[in-house]
Amino acid sequence: MQIIDTSGQQCPAPLIATKRALKDARTGDSFKVITDNQTAFNNISRFLKDNKTEFSSGESNDIWTLTITKQTPELINADAKEYCTTEIPHFSKGDFIIAFTSDKMGNGDEELGQLLMVNFVKAIKELDILPRNMVFYNKGVTLGAEDSPVIDHLKELEKMGVPFLFCETCAKYYLLEDKIKIGTLSNMFEITQVMSSAGNIVKP
Amino acid sequence: MKVDLLQMVDSGGCSAKISPRQLEEFLKYLPLPQDPNILVNIDTHDDAGVYKVNDDLALVFTTDFFPPVCSDPYEFGQIAAANSISDVYAMGGTPVIALNIMMFPSSKLPLEAYAGILKGGYDIAAEAGVRIIGGHTIDDFPPKYGLAVVGYIHPGKIITNSGAKPGDLLILTKPVGTGVILAGQRMKMASEDDVNLAKKLMKMLNFSGAEVMKKYNIKGATDVTGYGLAGHALKMARASNVSLELNLNKVPLIGDTFRLVDEGCIPGASFRNLDFIEDDSHFNTDLNYSLKMIAMDAQTSGGLLMCVNPEISDNVISDLHNAGLKDASVIGNVIEKGERYLYLNN
Repeated sequence: MQIIDTSGQQCPAPLIATKRALKDARTGDSFKVITDNQTAFNNISRFLKDNKTEFSSGESNDIWTLTITKQTPELINADAKEYCTTEIPHFSKGDFIIAFTSDKMGNGDEELGQLLMVNFVKAIKELDILPRNMVFYNKGVTLGAEDSPVIDHLKELEKMGVPFLFCETCAKYYLLEDKIKIGTLSNMFEITQVMSSAGNIVKP
Repeated sequence: MKVDLLQMVDSGGCSAKISPRQLEEFLKYLPLPQDPNILVNIDTHDDAGVYKVNDDLALVFTTDFFPPVCSDPYEFGQIAAANSISDVYAMGGTPVIALNIMMFPSSKLPLEAYAGILKGGYDIAAEAGVRIIGGHTIDDFPPKYGLAVVGYIHPGKIITNSGAKPGDLLILTKPVGTGVILAGQRMKMASEDDVNLAKKLMKMLNFSGAEVMKKYNIKGATDVTGYGLAGHALKMARASNVSLELNLNKVPLIGDTFRLVDEGCIPGASFRNLDFIEDDSHFNTDLNYSLKMIAMDAQTSGGLLMCVNPEISDNVISDLHNAGLKDASVIGNVIEKGERYLYLNN
């Protein structure tokens, strides 16, 4: 985890460093900010709360540590309206993950397969219990691209708290590295870990 | 030895003010002196006290001092003096005499710096027609400087925080952002041009703004200093028992102030001011966060915020522009007292 040590720095330097790190971080990434200045700590906390960014914090011997997780890419610049009007309730997650291995659902007619995939992703949002994780590999990564037919549904799912892992090798292969702006680009080790530790794997 | 006063302070200028919320707590326990000649006291959180001498004359009395806002002693003296005198202008008075208030670390700084600060103060006082007739210096670190100023005013022509009327437009005479730019200078994020512009604005007396207020018989005004635009607007709204709507997009800004705030350059004083106003304020749901925090920015020697009847507002604006206050703008309006005192919009 990235650690930004702002010890010895006065306001607003620690806040500027925090904001920069948030901007550079990928969605889902966490980082730590350390400060030895209580005012700076209070101000960063206030800034994060105002901008609806999740964080945890601790203090020992006059050193404050904030652990900050970037949720959605637009959050910091998002209109206040967006996060004020759409109150996101708390969703419970089950012990299963969904693996997207293709941009289509099932085998058969391509057009039908794409249509089914849209309906499938849409239906996930209606589940009483959400998946613990969603992984995307091979042609599945194309679902996460900005121009994908399911991108809006995926963004909503991300806001509901479902983490996404995209296979980085696959994203590179399909030249989508810069077009995937949700979730986290990840390696095979992490994807294998997530899949092997899941109670159930759902594959559309 | 080249003196750099900024090396000595963490927060300079009006950013160094005590939290307004704490101040209100302390002031609650002090009895207000009862005297029919006291025309304005701290009850309405005005910029200065006013004491009636006779039916034609009252004294405006105010003081202000703070740690350095810039490196150069002479410029610091100029800014501190302009800021101290400003409160007299904000009440519609004519500043007359002043005393120096100085804290100076004589073991840490050469006496040239002391002389430089005083010279800056004298030069601005002279520009305002104020005679400095004495003062007091304490050996102290870091340095602080300002004036206690006395001005004349006609008892019937006092401009106060309590003079805002529903329907009035709010006009601000100087652009906002001195706190952000000074913090940005410390962080090496602010351009030299912006720093110079901020210094020029801080040295600028509120004389011409006050002249325009007198000409148009304006009753409600304040100067925008340490509590930021929103903090001073709140004080005015409370004192006048009205609500104020601020359209923050209309607020003139110094140079790159918006970009700096957007990059996180938000001085600590802004968060103190936010604490002070938020319970009494409504933030529009689409209010831009950076604009909101600019409204909290502590100003040093900021402009006048005046309440102007819309029928004369065009004339007031054009007079202000002609007097060299080319950024003077309508930034909001006064409405009947609503659920909150302040309504902040984009």
